[in-house]
Amino acid sequence: MVDKIKVEDLSCYYGKKCVLESLNISVVQNEILSIIGPSNSGKTTFLRTLNRMSDLDSIYSRRGDVYLDSASVFDMDMEELRKRIGMLFAMPISFPMSIYENIVYAPKRLGLIFKKSEQDALVEQSLKDAFLWNEVKDRLKSSAMKMSGGQQQRLCIARILAINPEVILFDEPCSGLDPISTARVEESMVELKRKYTIVLVTNNVKQASRVSDRTAFFLMGKIIEIDTTDKLFVSPKKKQTEDYITGRFG
Amino acid sequence: MMKFNPKLSQKLSYLVLFLASTLAIMPVIVIIFIIVKNGMSVISWEFLVSMPKNGMREGGILPAIIGTFVIVMCTIMLTLPTGVCAAVYLNEYARDNTLTRAIKLGIVNLAGVPSVVYGLFGFGIFVMFLKLGVSIISGVLTLSIMELPVIVTTSRNALNSVPYSFREASWALGVGRWQTIRHIVLPNALPGIMTGAVLSIARISGETAPILFTAAAFYAPHLPHSIFDQVMTLPYHLYIISTQIPNMPNNIIFGTALVLLFMILTISFVAIFVRVYFRKHEKW
Ligand SMILES: Nc1ncnc2c1ncn2[C@@H]1O[C@H](COP(=O)(O)OP(=O)(O)O)[C@@H](O)[C@H]1O
Ligand SMILES: [Mg+2]
Repeated sequence: MVDKIKVEDLSCYYGKKCVLESLNISVVQNEILSIIGPSNSGKTTFLRTLNRMSDLDSIYSRRGDVYLDSASVFDMDMEELRKRIGMLFAMPISFPMSIYENIVYAPKRLGLIFKKSEQDALVEQSLKDAFLWNEVKDRLKSSAMKMSGGQQQRLCIARILAINPEVILFDEPCSGLDPISTARVEESMVELKRKYTIVLVTNNVKQASRVSDRTAFFLMGKIIEIDTTDKLFVSPKKKQTEDYITGRFG
Repeated sequence: MMKFNPKLSQKLSYLVLFLASTLAIMPVIVIIFIIVKNGMSVISWEFLVSMPKNGMREGGILPAIIGTFVIVMCTIMLTLPTGVCAAVYLNEYARDNTLTRAIKLGIVNLAGVPSVVYGLFGFGIFVMFLKLGVSIISGVLTLSIMELPVIVTTSRNALNSVPYSFREASWALGVGRWQTIRHIVLPNALPGIMTGAVLSIARISGETAPILFTAAAFYAPHLPHSIFDQVMTLPYHLYIISTQIPNMPNNIIFGTALVLLFMILTISFVAIFVRVYFRKHEKW
């Protein structure tokens, strides 16, 4: 088991308020690590620290370190880092352009592809990997904004796959989706695990139990418990964890 | 307490609202009607493309049309790029601190300064101090200083209307700040920026005060040769022929007003058209 990401003694603050306290956690290569916990427990802040989206917030500050393949992410070039760690937001955010353009947008800007034939191949491959190809292959030139929410979310996944990252962060990717779309997104996640390392924040405890290898329970900025998903759901060690996964939590 | 019949009060309020909106639009219609009725007779190709003759009592208004056109185009070519760049900097790059907040507040307030103040300022700085004289360049610079805050403000509003989530989604893909602005933010802000620019053009075309002391000629016997020449402009020409020249034929005054009015209305309609067109094609 190789640690893809290693977090050492990480604390995060918004202004003076501490939202993550002395976190130590690692993400193993090619696993799906779920993070569950009530809202405001710092899950999003954790993800946004990993790819340094938080650094754009002027009142945000942090202590501690995060390593990606044993190099500190805080020493890396931000754009380079985000190319390696992709992130999917809760609400699908397609750009107001065609499906095709959405996918080639970032690779073009990053100078990864040039030829038209390369672009076509990339679009097809990314959409296939995101389980969207069959639904949209006949209307690649139509606007992405016209698709359903679930399709848009999978387009956003395809868009991330197109820059070929190593890690993908999902922040409650199904919170706005119906059960069928959710199933399709989960299906693609399980498939993606072969090639990528995945961190999945979810407000849906069942989703964590369905797709992830390990699960961490966050509460008020602390990791209460982290274990393999089977163990954590069958025999949680902490009372708070048990309360939360059985739905007895406030 | 007196009880109103609900049906009656419904009708009554409808009537009041209808009258109020009629009252608002009526003067405009009357003005247009009067100007068209009195000025239509002189409008001809000849009127538009010939020089004024006989102390401006005859002939056409070509130099005024050209003067207005040149000044407006130079001004917008100067202010649009500068204003958009300033807006991009303030919105997308500048940190939110006391200094930038003061600058933003200053820009909003500058947009409300009366135009005659800009005219006097331009006269002092460009005409006298920099010794550019009464010239196209002085007028253009003065108008530019006046219009820049407006362009910055409308451009900032246009940039703000592009959802922040688009920027975040682009950054999260490893795309840098400038590339995101260039390929996501600006294209989506363009309709708003263009509408602002077109309305600015309409506004500058009708301004008299800022060019009164800086660029406008009472009468120029020939068309301007360089940007250091004075020019005649439509609004100022209209002011002169309606107040300064005895025995001025009425139809020429109204004809000139009609040309100016037509120009500004056309520009405004272009702005409305741009708005409507992009509204329809807006994709989020
Ligand atoms: N940009 C921000 N500015 C200030 N406070 C924030 C910001 N983002 C999150 N917080 C605060 O940090 C805490 C953790 O939030 P978050 O990481 O979004 O939790 P979660 O994703 O688990 O719901 C919350 O109390 C929230 O109010
Ligand atoms: Mg969250």
